[in-house]
Amino acid sequence: MYYKRELLKGSTDSLLLCLINNQPMYGYKIIKEIEKRSNGYFQFKEGTLYPALHRLEKAGLLQGRWQRLPSGQERRYYYITAKGQKAMVERLATWQDFSTAVALIMQPATG
Amino acid sequence: MPAKSSYTDSLKDHLRLERTIESDVVRELNTHLEDKSHELIESGLSEEEASITAANLLGPPRIVARQMYEVYSQGSWRQALFAALPHLLIAALFSLHFWKDTIWLLGIVIAVACAVIYGWCHGKPAWLFPWLGYCLTPVIVIGILLIYLPGNWTWFAAIAYIPLALLVVVPITKKTIRKDWIFASLMLLPIPIVIGWMLALELDNTLIWYEHLQGFASQIALSFAVLALTAATFIRVRQRWAKVGTILTLEILVLVIVALGNKSAIGFGGWLLLVLLSLMLVLGPALLERKIKASDQKQLKLHNKSAR
Repeated sequence: MYYKRELLKGSTDSLLLCLINNQPMYGYKIIKEIEKRSNGYFQFKEGTLYPALHRLEKAGLLQGRWQRLPSGQERRYYYITAKGQKAMVERLATWQDFSTAVALIMQPATG
Repeated sequence: MPAKSSYTDSLKDHLRLERTIESDVVRELNTHLEDKSHELIESGLSEEEASITAANLLGPPRIVARQMYEVYSQGSWRQALFAALPHLLIAALFSLHFWKDTIWLLGIVIAVACAVIYGWCHGKPAWLFPWLGYCLTPVIVIGILLIYLPGNWTWFAAIAYIPLALLVVVPITKKTIRKDWIFASLMLLPIPIVIGWMLALELDNTLIWYEHLQGFASQIALSFAVLALTAATFIRVRQRWAKVGTILTLEILVLVIVALGNKSAIGFGGWLLLVLLSLMLVLGPALLERKIKASDQKQLKLHNKSAR
């Protein structure tokens, strides 16, 4: 459990950047979307999501904007910035290299 | 939804961010609680149960507020440099033996006045408070100089001066504490150091104090350089406990430098009194903040009652 939590902690920023890159979203929707897309594997502690979003915003990777929903309610949508897109591409490449290397080591040795 | 409003109230109590950021954060978390409650009501919970569960799922407001504080509490290197600058100017004044140079002194006074006016009118950023401290320091210095007046003049002058000095120091300190008590601690930081050096220089003895000033100039400069380091570190660290720890540790280090500068003039007892004064000025604002908040809430309740 601890290992899974640490893994999620290390990947939170990349997951958020990828998700918001596909579509601008607000906090509650992000939690639902991550849960849905990962078939319930990733379950964010709700209170920790907002500090993470604000950290990315302060770093200039995201930008938050209040927007009115069709129902008339307002929600704070997060948009990825150009700097955020660049960071996401870099992180994704690093993650893919890392996961390929881990898979190569984990698979049973042949020959 | 009482659970939602009590969550928001508690969050506001613990958040210590700039007003615009704070209202944005509270509004955003409110919308989250609304969405979550709505989802829980649809799943079959009552409105009250849904509200309580949504607040519980978001986590303790104290922890959410702390994490938010850590996102915004770190200033840039430029802000750290600007916060350290007034102390660095004083350090340069003594290390370069410029304290007799009128232009240099006037330059410092103008720089302090400009920085304070600019910072005060632009949302009171964290770098403002070390500068603001130097606006209050002359008030304290003049008060101490009154001790050296001849005969009964000290008492007459003190009776007239103390209320006037409090009239300046108290409202500024109160306003700073209302923003965040930790800034008041940062602002009051130079006061024990200045008092320490004034005592060490033995100002009552006109024959030796100037000689002492020449002799201690490098140590005085060093003490203000450490204060500059304190201000810069304060701006750069994220955690609140680290900010308070930095102020306390480095302030005591500076007082050690002051004591080493003139053991005989201050003595161990005097040094301990200075340490106590420092503790009072660093941690006292935290206690005052509670009192100010309590009295503000009382006034608000009275206002609401009379409005009804």
